[in-house]
Amino acid sequence: MAAEKAVGKKIKIALAGNPNCGKTSLFNALTGTHQRVGNYPGITVEKKEGRYRDDDWEIEVIDLPGTYSLSSYSPEERIARRELLRDDIDVVVVVADSTNLERNLYLLVQVMELGANPVLALNMSDEAHAGGQRLDVELMSMLLGFPIVETVGHKGGGAKLLREAIRRAYDNPTHGERFSFGPQLERTVMRLAEKLAPLLPQPSPPPRWLAIKLLERDGELGQWLRDNVAESAGLFTDVEKEIEELEKFGRTDIILFIADNRYSFLSGLLREVRISEMRADSRATSDFVDAILCNRIVGLPIFFAAMYVLFWLTFTVGEWPMRLIESFFGYLGNTIGGLWPAGSESPLRSLLVDGVLAGVGGVLVFLPNIILLFFGLALMEDSGYMSRAAFLVDRFMHRFGLHGKSFVPMLTGFGCTVPGIMATRTLENERDRLTTMLVLPLMSCGARLPIYMLLIPAFFASRWQAPMLFLIYMTGIVLAVLLARLLRSTLLAGEDAPFVMELPPYRLPTLRAVAIKMGQRSWSYVRKAGTIILAISILMWVATSFPRAPERSVEQEPILAYEDDASRDLSYSLAGRMGKLLEPLTTMMGSDYRIATAMLGAFAAKEVFVAQLGIVFSLGEADETSTSLRETLRRHYTPLQAFAMMLFLLVATPCMATVAIMRKESGSWKWALLQFFGLTTIGWLLSVAVYQIGRLVIG
Amino acid sequence: MGHHTNDGPITESLEDYLETIYELIRDKQVARVKDIAKIRGVRMASVSPAMHRLRDLGLIVYNQREYIQLTPKGEQVARKVIAHHEILRRFLRDFLHVDKKIAEQDACQIEHHISDQTIDRLVRFFEFMDTCPLGSQVQEMFKNCSEVNPELPACMEECARYDAQMRLEHEQGNSLLSELEPGEKGKILHIKALGALRQRLIDMGLLPQTMVEVERVAPSGDPIWLKVRGFNISLRKQEANGILVERQATA
Repeated sequence: MAAEKAVGKKIKIALAGNPNCGKTSLFNALTGTHQRVGNYPGITVEKKEGRYRDDDWEIEVIDLPGTYSLSSYSPEERIARRELLRDDIDVVVVVADSTNLERNLYLLVQVMELGANPVLALNMSDEAHAGGQRLDVELMSMLLGFPIVETVGHKGGGAKLLREAIRRAYDNPTHGERFSFGPQLERTVMRLAEKLAPLLPQPSPPPRWLAIKLLERDGELGQWLRDNVAESAGLFTDVEKEIEELEKFGRTDIILFIADNRYSFLSGLLREVRISEMRADSRATSDFVDAILCNRIVGLPIFFAAMYVLFWLTFTVGEWPMRLIESFFGYLGNTIGGLWPAGSESPLRSLLVDGVLAGVGGVLVFLPNIILLFFGLALMEDSGYMSRAAFLVDRFMHRFGLHGKSFVPMLTGFGCTVPGIMATRTLENERDRLTTMLVLPLMSCGARLPIYMLLIPAFFASRWQAPMLFLIYMTGIVLAVLLARLLRSTLLAGEDAPFVMELPPYRLPTLRAVAIKMGQRSWSYVRKAGTIILAISILMWVATSFPRAPERSVEQEPILAYEDDASRDLSYSLAGRMGKLLEPLTTMMGSDYRIATAMLGAFAAKEVFVAQLGIVFSLGEADETSTSLRETLRRHYTPLQAFAMMLFLLVATPCMATVAIMRKESGSWKWALLQFFGLTTIGWLLSVAVYQIGRLVIG
Repeated sequence: MGHHTNDGPITESLEDYLETIYELIRDKQVARVKDIAKIRGVRMASVSPAMHRLRDLGLIVYNQREYIQLTPKGEQVARKVIAHHEILRRFLRDFLHVDKKIAEQDACQIEHHISDQTIDRLVRFFEFMDTCPLGSQVQEMFKNCSEVNPELPACMEECARYDAQMRLEHEQGNSLLSELEPGEKGKILHIKALGALRQRLIDMGLLPQTMVEVERVAPSGDPIWLKVRGFNISLRKQEANGILVERQATA
């Protein structure tokens, strides 16, 4: 033993608990900043891992998704139980909100059913004490047979005791022996488990647990059994017979019967160990705040004010650091560019300045928005206001096939799609989340505004300018709604996930938790999406700079009055050629290769369209207020063509940052590409239809 | 001359012939043009062109004045058609209680056009109806009303017995949770909701006998906000429709 101690032990633990039980803050308290955040492969569920040292023990911690139970109805539940079934998990820390024990311990019972080796953390014990609840923790631990500690996750209270309890549980493992159902159900479970045991392949989930799940008619395990056990058909008949008998005995259906058994065990346990109960008024403050914030009359105005502050914080306050970053990269570009002699055409210089620096700048420029937005969102989530917000606007969003919690991400999309897509993390249901992410680019983002600001005054009389802008934004919203409904009835079809949502009492968010959340999300943006954005921006640089136009020779090629060097270079480059190649497609919506080339630029970032237009029309540097560019555009195109153009830029080709973040957040290229090509096709069809029909009508 | 074109079109009548040949071989060990003509009720002269065509498709081995044999591929096609026939006949006869003869005829017609997916779903449907305890009940109810009573609407009422029972309880002063006004309390009697919603409700402790109180409703009247077991949850009205409660007197 002594030798072993010197080497130290490496063990693995999992944290399980209901949503809102303070599991994440306890995870933070245990692991500090040694955390990794990722996705479970192929789905949008977040995977969090961390580690800590306790003397010479090295402990790896998996933070499971928050669930109310271990059934197989949601991806979170399936993942949680799959992880719990891994045989390398040594200890499972069940985190329970002490102020709400019955429901939180319901999960503990299921962990015990699973035969895992549990430790119970009675979290938020400070609140429970303040509310008047006293528990005989020692007795409770004796009755259940494993260590139990009281913790205060967000203050790190009890972390030391918990670490110690984890070691004790590792040394003296239990497997839920102290839990049993009522006699009738217990006998049935044992009988089935005995029947199952010899039939199971190795490795298998514990037979007792399988028996329980079979009685619950669990879909996932039923399938597993059919696939892995030859004699399963007979088993299912037996199970149905047992169910029939239990239902007759319990005079209720089996799901309720089993749930009832679990709750009876818990209420029996709590009767023993609860010295005093929570006072009925212990949540009076929180209830009082709700009476105002969720009031039928002032609830929505307060919510919109909160949204306004969030926006102001994200985009108005965010503009300062954004400018700073932009000018820093401008300065850096000039400095690095200045290393070469003036007028140098060195491809290396261009690569560094226009490719790499522009790319890194393009990644970092979003960072202030993202940090600030996630600061605001973390406050909303940790305080408990997010679920209230969902409650207030769910009716409206549900009509469009979305969830109340889709509102904030969608609204964020008007500022920038990238943080909007990241904000969909607050949605627990995978289908809701994917639908929201997929339609989000239709919320016309801030980068598209310069395009409208250039085109609308150029083509429309001033009294039509505001309605035009409104029309464009509304088109996006209406399309998003239609598309969301379409997605919910095709690709993402299926019953609505239950909205049944907990509204936890208001809590003061801690700076530490907010900072960790903010830091993780920002860092994961830079690391995952950033690398893709950088790669694409270098590719875009290559496409717009190569191949180079040959030196002009006057004999072969007379200088054309309308063409300057920059526009000649661009039209000679890959992008220019692609623009020409795509011309047949853009012609149908009334545009030519010049617009097509500029639109390719809009893939890098929507606002680049304006600058690219300046280049293709040989007007040098141009922005959305350039009158000469407007003049030129007016000469070349009609208002109808301009309108079709705007529609296309609104709907089609989400920018590369969107594609990158979509890949990262959805966990697969499939959705990112589907979104890109799907929206591009819709945008093209729409612009073509508008242009062609418009031409017929106008004549 | 290469006769074996592998993917030429097999017409409906050719499939029928294959089916007949298969059945003859199965029942009488041999298949002759004469027997085929008899079973299909056509003249022998019209059978032979079909046999030539089947031979050209590589589905049968056939020489003049010899017994007809199925090639492995022919047997495969025949088996598939027969399987479809069986499944359809079973569906029409056992589930819809169509007359035996009509079921036979219709199965003969549909078997050629039905997609693999539909057949697959039918098989699963049978399986489901056999396994699910409600399945046999529903079958029985439908059978009784389709045979005894050709007027379907009359027995529709019988099928709605569950709902009627609910409604009865409803009239006895019990309500759907969605009907409670803010401030009202109720005791859960019954959870009608199924599937994921039912599981979620139960996991959150909304069991029969549990007391719930409607705290408030959202600005548009939906969703509603409940107090249950000392905590707050919200659910949509549509979901609250799945819970039957006994309204409690408010103090």
